[in-house]
Amino acid sequence: MPDLAVEIKGFTKRFGETVAVDNLTMDIYDGEIFGLLGPNGSGKTTTLLTIATVYKPTSGDILVYGHSVVREDYIVRKLIGIAFQEPKAMWVDKPWDLLTWHAKISGYSSSDARRVVREVMEELGLWEHRNKYFYQLSGGTRKKVELAKVLIQRPRLAILDEPTAQVDVITKHVLWDIIKKMRKQGTTMIVATNDMFEAEKVCERIGIIYRGRLRKVGSIEELKDAIPGGDILEVSVEGHGLAEAVLEDLSVYGRVEVRGDVLRIYMNKGEEKSLEILEYFRKRNIGVKRIMIKEPTLDDVFMYVTGAKLRE
Amino acid sequence: MPIPHGFKAVLRVVEWDLMKLKRQKAFIAMRTAWFIIQSLVFGYAISRIARPDIGVDYYKFYLLGLYTALLYSASIARAYIIADEFDDGIIDYHLSLPLKRSVLAAGRVLGGAVSTLIFTAPMMVFILFLTGGLDPISFLISIASAFTFSIGVVSFVVIIVMKLKSTDTTDIFFGTIDAILVRLSSVFYPLPIIKALNIPAYYYSALFNPLTHFADFLRALVLPEYFLLELSPAQSMFYILGLGIGLLVVAIELFERKLEAGGVK
Repeated sequence: MPDLAVEIKGFTKRFGETVAVDNLTMDIYDGEIFGLLGPNGSGKTTTLLTIATVYKPTSGDILVYGHSVVREDYIVRKLIGIAFQEPKAMWVDKPWDLLTWHAKISGYSSSDARRVVREVMEELGLWEHRNKYFYQLSGGTRKKVELAKVLIQRPRLAILDEPTAQVDVITKHVLWDIIKKMRKQGTTMIVATNDMFEAEKVCERIGIIYRGRLRKVGSIEELKDAIPGGDILEVSVEGHGLAEAVLEDLSVYGRVEVRGDVLRIYMNKGEEKSLEILEYFRKRNIGVKRIMIKEPTLDDVFMYVTGAKLRE
Repeated sequence: MPIPHGFKAVLRVVEWDLMKLKRQKAFIAMRTAWFIIQSLVFGYAISRIARPDIGVDYYKFYLLGLYTALLYSASIARAYIIADEFDDGIIDYHLSLPLKRSVLAAGRVLGGAVSTLIFTAPMMVFILFLTGGLDPISFLISIASAFTFSIGVVSFVVIIVMKLKSTDTTDIFFGTIDAILVRLSSVFYPLPIIKALNIPAYYYSALFNPLTHFADFLRALVLPEYFLLELSPAQSMFYILGLGIGLLVVAIELFERKLEAGGVK
């Protein structure tokens, strides 16, 4: 059993009447890249900001390397570094000023701060932008400045809230490489994202959070295994939709979903049963345009465990 | 890499406000120039009109009041800066830093007070020069009292902004407070004159107003004829000191116990 970096125990956060996170319980292991996957408004950021002690739990607790965010918040802050979803700067701030101040707050002497900030800025390709105003920077460059804070700090636990949202493809790959490099250097990472591809590419384990509740947690393989049998049969039919009675008949094979004119059945032994299903359609004179059996993707897992669309 | 703590950490936080102040060189120069014109032209003009029968040179009285009003407004202006930071999520960022909440609170208050002091220092020197109070002792006491006064005002500002959580409400609240407190004080109107008007609400508002105590403390320091005219300087000194320390403690307590992203619950 690996050591625990974060233990979330019955964590609930309310804002007035709104329940942002509801009784969340899960563990994050030391040294892993953990993905927190969910659509906007699902409670990812609230969870991350509470781990970072920026929010206080309404009830429950979160332990970071055994230290409570409620009772030992200062010790927790010494262990973590966070890159916020929205870069935190005023429009007239300059990256060099912000990052050198951040380095000094993190414990570097003035001369070491200047050295390490230069190294990190060069690594991220930020050096030429060091004296520009924040409003002159592109979205991707601003994201890099936010990530630079974590790289400067070299925390034991790095929290990255949607690190590649609104970032171009090239920059995404640069940021993913840096995340993996930090992991190799021993930093535990929590990456919040609503990008399935990113989650699958970068994360070792994933927690799916939806409407404030944890729906599933595990490695990518474990999550894919959560779909019964692991097969998804996709059928495109002619005409406009299918009668309720047909959907009910097909539900004997597994869970049935309709997306547009595509019918999806989560099932066991898809190859075998596809012939039966084709025969069923033929008997009812329903034309089949296309039928295929798919391996589930993380996208499918998300749909299956939440019954929702990712980008709402 | 040892994370700074205690007073060293407070100083690091103070650097945040100083970093922001560095960008305001042109603004400081402009305000200083305007202040000098106000003191030499308009202040002199008004003192030719006003003839207080309390044995005080009104021009000198006015100059020390003018500095008090400026120091107060500059301290209050921290509200707009902190409210903007709230809107831009800077407070969330600060709350995530490896600092104790008490250090963050003390650092932001002291940073605001130091910035205000640096911002107003050229104007203080100018006023002390015009009033004949530019000796080292008066200068040091003036600086120390201005710093303490500013700590009190900035602490008050921090407490209120954390509660209001909105730039618009902050603008309205502090705009109103700024205008009212300056008028209900002895900043431009001597306390014995206010007393003679025989409007108790006005007199007692002015008597308990921190601006009155700071302005009259400076006057007692620089203008011997003003000494003990209405308030004792020791009384005013303790009032300013008590207010500064008291409000700083409340601000720290608020950060420690109540503050989270989005303001005080």
